[in-house]
Amino acid sequence: MEQPYAIEMLHITKRFPGIVANDNITLRLRKGEIHALLGENGAGKSTLMSVLFGLYQPEEGAIKKDGREVRIKDPNDANDLGIGMVHQHFKLVECFTVLDNIILGVEPCRHGFLQKADARKKVLDLSEKYGLKVDPDALVEDITVGMQQRTEILKMLYRDNEILIFDEPTAVLTPQEIDELMEIMRGLAAEGKSILFISHKLNEIMEVADRCTVLRKGRYVGTVEVKDTTKEELSRMMVGRNVEFVVHKEPAVPKEVLLEVEGLTVASKLHSNNAVRNVSFSVRAGEIVCIAGIDGNGQTELVYGLTGLEPVKEGKILLKGADITRAPIRQRSTGGMSHIPEDRHKHGLVLDYTLEDNMVLQRYFEPEFVTSAGFLKRRAIRAYALRLIEQYDVRSGQGPVTIARSMSGGNQQKAIVAREIDKNPDLLVAVQPTRGLDVGAIEYIHRQIVAQRDAGKGVLLVSLELDEVMALSDRILVMYEGEIVGELDPKTTTVEEMGLYMAGAKRKGA
Amino acid sequence: MNEKKRSLLQNKGVQSLLASLLCILAGLLIGYLVLLIINPAGAWEAIVTIVENFLYYPSPQAQIRYFGNTLVKTAPLLMCSLSVLFAYKVGLFNIGAAGQYVIGAGACLYCALAWQMPWFVCMLAAVAAGAVLGAISGALKAYRNVNEVISCIMLNWISLYAVNVLLSQVKETASPYTLTLSSTNPGALLPSLGLGDLFQNNRYVTLAIPLTVLVAAAIWVLLEKTKLGYELKATGFNKYAAQYCGMKEKRNIILTMVIAGGLAGLGAAALYLTGFEQWQTTHSSIPSMGFNGIAAAFLGGLNPIGSIFASYFIQHITNGGAYVDKTMYSAQISDLISSLIIYLCGFVLFFKSLLDRRLARQAERAAARAKAEKGGESK
Amino acid sequence: MMLLIQYTLIFSSVLILVALGGCFSEHSGVINIGLEGIMVMGALGGALMMKLLPAGTAAPVMILLVVLAACALGAVYSLLLAVAAIHFKADQTLVGTAMNLLGTAAATVFVKAMNTAADVNNVSSIIQYIDAKRSFLVYINGFEFNWFMAITVLALVCSWVVLYRTRFGLRLMACGEHPQAADSVGINVYKMRYAGVLISGVLGGLGGIVYITAGVSEWMFENGVAGFGFLSLAVMIFGQWKPARIALAALLFGFFRALGNVYTGFDLLSSLNLPSALYNMLPYLVSLVVLAFTSQKSRAPKAEGIPYDKGLR
Repeated sequence: MEQPYAIEMLHITKRFPGIVANDNITLRLRKGEIHALLGENGAGKSTLMSVLFGLYQPEEGAIKKDGREVRIKDPNDANDLGIGMVHQHFKLVECFTVLDNIILGVEPCRHGFLQKADARKKVLDLSEKYGLKVDPDALVEDITVGMQQRTEILKMLYRDNEILIFDEPTAVLTPQEIDELMEIMRGLAAEGKSILFISHKLNEIMEVADRCTVLRKGRYVGTVEVKDTTKEELSRMMVGRNVEFVVHKEPAVPKEVLLEVEGLTVASKLHSNNAVRNVSFSVRAGEIVCIAGIDGNGQTELVYGLTGLEPVKEGKILLKGADITRAPIRQRSTGGMSHIPEDRHKHGLVLDYTLEDNMVLQRYFEPEFVTSAGFLKRRAIRAYALRLIEQYDVRSGQGPVTIARSMSGGNQQKAIVAREIDKNPDLLVAVQPTRGLDVGAIEYIHRQIVAQRDAGKGVLLVSLELDEVMALSDRILVMYEGEIVGELDPKTTTVEEMGLYMAGAKRKGA
Repeated sequence: MNEKKRSLLQNKGVQSLLASLLCILAGLLIGYLVLLIINPAGAWEAIVTIVENFLYYPSPQAQIRYFGNTLVKTAPLLMCSLSVLFAYKVGLFNIGAAGQYVIGAGACLYCALAWQMPWFVCMLAAVAAGAVLGAISGALKAYRNVNEVISCIMLNWISLYAVNVLLSQVKETASPYTLTLSSTNPGALLPSLGLGDLFQNNRYVTLAIPLTVLVAAAIWVLLEKTKLGYELKATGFNKYAAQYCGMKEKRNIILTMVIAGGLAGLGAAALYLTGFEQWQTTHSSIPSMGFNGIAAAFLGGLNPIGSIFASYFIQHITNGGAYVDKTMYSAQISDLISSLIIYLCGFVLFFKSLLDRRLARQAERAAARAKAEKGGESK
Repeated sequence: MMLLIQYTLIFSSVLILVALGGCFSEHSGVINIGLEGIMVMGALGGALMMKLLPAGTAAPVMILLVVLAACALGAVYSLLLAVAAIHFKADQTLVGTAMNLLGTAAATVFVKAMNTAADVNNVSSIIQYIDAKRSFLVYINGFEFNWFMAITVLALVCSWVVLYRTRFGLRLMACGEHPQAADSVGINVYKMRYAGVLISGVLGGLGGIVYITAGVSEWMFENGVAGFGFLSLAVMIFGQWKPARIALAALLFGFFRALGNVYTGFDLLSSLNLPSALYNMLPYLVSLVVLAFTSQKSRAPKAEGIPYDKGLR
């Protein structure tokens, strides 16, 4: 027998200036099912969920709860209807305790004064019932990402929500934590909760979901029973064509050592212990070395240490034989190191500068662009920017004078890649170069990275995406809690084996 | 709305000008309302007096002479506004222009009166003193993570009291005012370059006025055309990106505050070395020059050239305030208006984004219409 | 010695009240540089009330009405910041600075107009309240106890309870730390920020009236409040945005400020023959040094100074 629908979103259309984010989308969630919502970045998943959660009002369409039409004007309405959401970026107040975060917004009160005792009992009961282990009195800033996620789930359960939305919940977890989460989700569904699971990871959808709705570029593609479909078919629905999961590349021909790191230790900004501990490795010309690992295991700090954004505590870094351990950033850059940073908005671009000014960010001080008296050669900068825009196909509204902030994420990233590669470095350090980009841009950037390798440069790639790691690398180094716990060969290893290293369950002398 | 008009409105400079004019109008209007509330009888006359300033005098000679006086006080205001503007471009809010101005006044007057130095030495001393004060805020920001607004505020008061103590040694015995330059050390007076004669023998009109305008132009060139300006602005917009591409962002923060402090110090020299005013050693509040500099900087659309006009305007109405009928209103009415204008400047950003959004929507509609028409033709 | 304690307590009271005001505003996510102007307005409201009330008014009535007037005017004035910062996303430092200038200018214009209306030859900006001020004082063995001290202690306790023991406090702090999180659980961030700024107006205004009645019996409004609002900001930062620590910091700063008033009473200090300006400078100098050593790891509310935009998440 078909279960009745818990929530129906019918013919939803939501427009923003210049873009239709949701175009006539229909999504029906049955009671007690796990329903996956699949789509690329920018496909309209988040917008649709924001509509359901009352953060946006749709221009057209209707929402029905248990077959009755409802209006959701703000998150309070959503909460009253029993809809809860675990956001991709957790919405937790870091300096509050777990308990305070759970009760925030629905605090048990007497005359305005907080009554936490009852709340604590309810939280502990829930945590027991669903196997969600948390310490209610710990500060959120002190607990692990996994426990933060469990806090978010408890937030929904505490409110007796019946419809639970999970927005990309696995991005920050280890493979083992992901398994745990899947188990929790199944348990919740078995208790009668209806779950919407937003993801672009096909494996997870195949594993846990009952049905799957696919969106593409703001449009509804279809809804399928997961047990009747395949990964390949889902991915075809998602991108509209067959995707190559493999990057075509010849076997690597490593030459001389470019980068040599010995016993590198970098202090952590967040904790008292070191973020990177006694790490040693080397990168040769003509190979792509990939640092894999779960977010927050010291990859960021390792790159900061290499590129000079953070001081190195101990150890030695040699670039082409020269000691650059304490060298200023500028010297590393002119010495042959390029850096595609992890956060393009924080480090990679001056968003309020024009595209052309961003293009010369690493070279503005060279005689080509500045006179000896210190005046900028505007004409030379324009010509250079135009060449890069043309050559790397960077698209923008007004060409070189476009303000970087107004460009799309993909083109911003292309501009950074163009700038860093055109510097003609010996060593390219690329950190999550494809994060948040669509398939076309990802393929493009992957090709550029392989081209750099084939031109005899060294590439150090830091990535959180296992598929990317497997497709691009010639050697894999896995980081766990600040240490390199294994060196793997992508040709012989499997994702499962890599997962064990990433979770710290396995290690060998690197 | 036609294309040309729309693109004109999209121009950032035109937008700034519009926004500033709007602020001025609203400020004057509210000022007028306040006058009306206090005493409806003379309100219109008073607001006209404030806007007229020196035109209040009937004879052209007197008008020109008092026009000169307004210019004399515009010069230091312009320097203070450049000081604020320069720091703001690098992402720092130099509320300390007031203190840097005070310490500059102390330094140049002490050099002139106690050590009998010639004018250019006194001027350099003022610049140096302001720069040092700026450097302290900059260094605290760069190395000790002290918010520059807070440290500047503390330094404003510290410098006020310090200068009062310092200048008490060179004050007139019977009054709290410092000795006059003309009686003690005429060599410290800024040269007039014959400019005074142009203003009906107004001996306070000196080199300071053209000098400050030149400095404003130089600041514009520095910010827009040079490598240093490129670096400093990048640091201001995004200090992480500046660090990432190897700029020395700590050095840049300190350097910025040094330049900003020097500008404010120069402003003090541009006023006190004309002999137009003496320092009152019992000052218990900070001279408003530095704070008015904030007004002029924002009213000028954060553009050095815009600053020149904005500074003049603020000084114009401040001087005009002195002429209102004292039996009905107080001179502070112009302080009230200029502080209202600063307040309204806070809304400029909102105004601009509102304008941009409207224009974008119109452009979209126009494009849609054009497309529809085209489609109709092809069928 | 008694005098030093008395002055320390009364100046500390001012600092505690105003710093608590700043604390509420910043916990809601709005930086309030305009406390100085708010103090002036509160002082004006209180002083006018003292002037207006007939001479024989009973002390409790007098205290209540004066406090109410000061709080009300401070709160109304703080709306200028609230509207600009919360709805129009204005630069909070700029608006605060404007409010400081505006507060002094407006108070001066108003008081002068009032004085001139009463007597054409009186162009001063002074309000006197010698008689009315007596209502606030109780003499205990030569110690001049001021009812404002009691009010301050009350305000301090209330602030602590409100911030850490009530639903309102929890929600307020959530808005200053992570407004998106607060919004996602249905808290109206705009409303909470208005509340934070208005409370800072109430406390700032109260601080203003306490300040101008501390030690003097008339006030010249051209002088504003001589930087006390700024000093309170330093106290707030030094107190790490926590009421109890703010009280301790305020006692320290109040002590240095009090020294400036009474140093002539100490043989040791007066024999040093230092200019009085030096004592006036002392609290600022101390706070600068203290900030230089405590700002490295600040616990400032994370979202303060950033306008909240519902559209950006």
